[in-house]
Amino acid sequence: MTLALDLASLLLLAVGLAFVAGGTLGLVRLPDLFSRAHATGKCDSVGASAILVALALQGGFSFGDLKLLLLVALVLVTAPTAAHALARSAYRTGLEPWRRAPAAGWRRGAERRDAGAP
Amino acid sequence: MKGWALALVVVVAATLAIGVQGLPTHDAPEAPIHDHVGARYVERGVEETGMRNLVGAVLLNYRGFDTMVEVVVIFTALAAVLALPRAGSVADAPEALPVSPVVLFVVRLLAPFIALFAIALLFRGHVSPGGGFQAGALFGALFVALGLVLGRRGAARLVPERARPWLQAAAPLTFAAVAALGWALTGSFLGFPQAPELHAVREAMALALEVAIAVGGGVILGSLFQTMEA
Repeated sequence: MTLALDLASLLLLAVGLAFVAGGTLGLVRLPDLFSRAHATGKCDSVGASAILVALALQGGFSFGDLKLLLLVALVLVTAPTAAHALARSAYRTGLEPWRRAPAAGWRRGAERRDAGAP
Repeated sequence: MKGWALALVVVVAATLAIGVQGLPTHDAPEAPIHDHVGARYVERGVEETGMRNLVGAVLLNYRGFDTMVEVVVIFTALAAVLALPRAGSVADAPEALPVSPVVLFVVRLLAPFIALFAIALLFRGHVSPGGGFQAGALFGALFVALGLVLGRRGAARLVPERARPWLQAAAPLTFAAVAALGWALTGSFLGFPQAPELHAVREAMALALEVAIAVGGGVILGSLFQTMEA
């Protein structure tokens, strides 16, 4: 039983760390606010909750576990909301989403799309 | 350029790793933190201050002057920001954007819990870690979150116009009042009466300070956000 709990904890910790590392990498490497908010918002909520659940599994079903699970609920609600609010206000105040510089092959199609956009 | 950055990262990381090696273990009794006044606080704090919580004893009693000047610093920060010239008053500024339904829902969902947690921290601060500053930070976060949902005018209505300056200055004013009371009772500025029969007075003085720090700190944080947003 303990072994199963430990393995589950280890697995969740690994998943959480992978998500946090991915989110951090995205924050550093992605080109604009929207893609960065996408990376950090998603990965921090999943990564942090996975780590918290892993810790809760180690708590031996105590009152502290309940607190950790409440924290998971809090993180799952607030992190996406913060990412949404950031991206929304950036978009509404006119920040242009980043686009890949159009390659020669599909330039005409992109121009037609831009011209037709409201 | 990248090579230099990598070298810098390696040097800093190595320095930190060496530093971590030198840290005492978590519960080491010979750690530097226990060498100075800490031991005295732990051994005689309850007896000397009459407070039940050592954190409160240090914050309000042993280092009461430090805390008093700290709240003055926070108040001064707000005063400095308010003194900056601004384009218009908070109430005249146009609302920036319609409120996101997602943010509205989440703030409505969380606001009661934030408020409850802040109040719990404030009153548990007597007997366990927590207290005015932590509660004030949460009250401030609550004001900011509500400001996002209610808009500037709605947020300005949360704290009535006439009471606002008094609430912003609540912590320094209460410190002055409590310090004067302590002076009258004990003969020393910001002194807390030691007599067992004055236990209730001592607790009331500490509680008044904690409440004032929480309310004043929260209102100041909210005001800072609103002022800088306008």
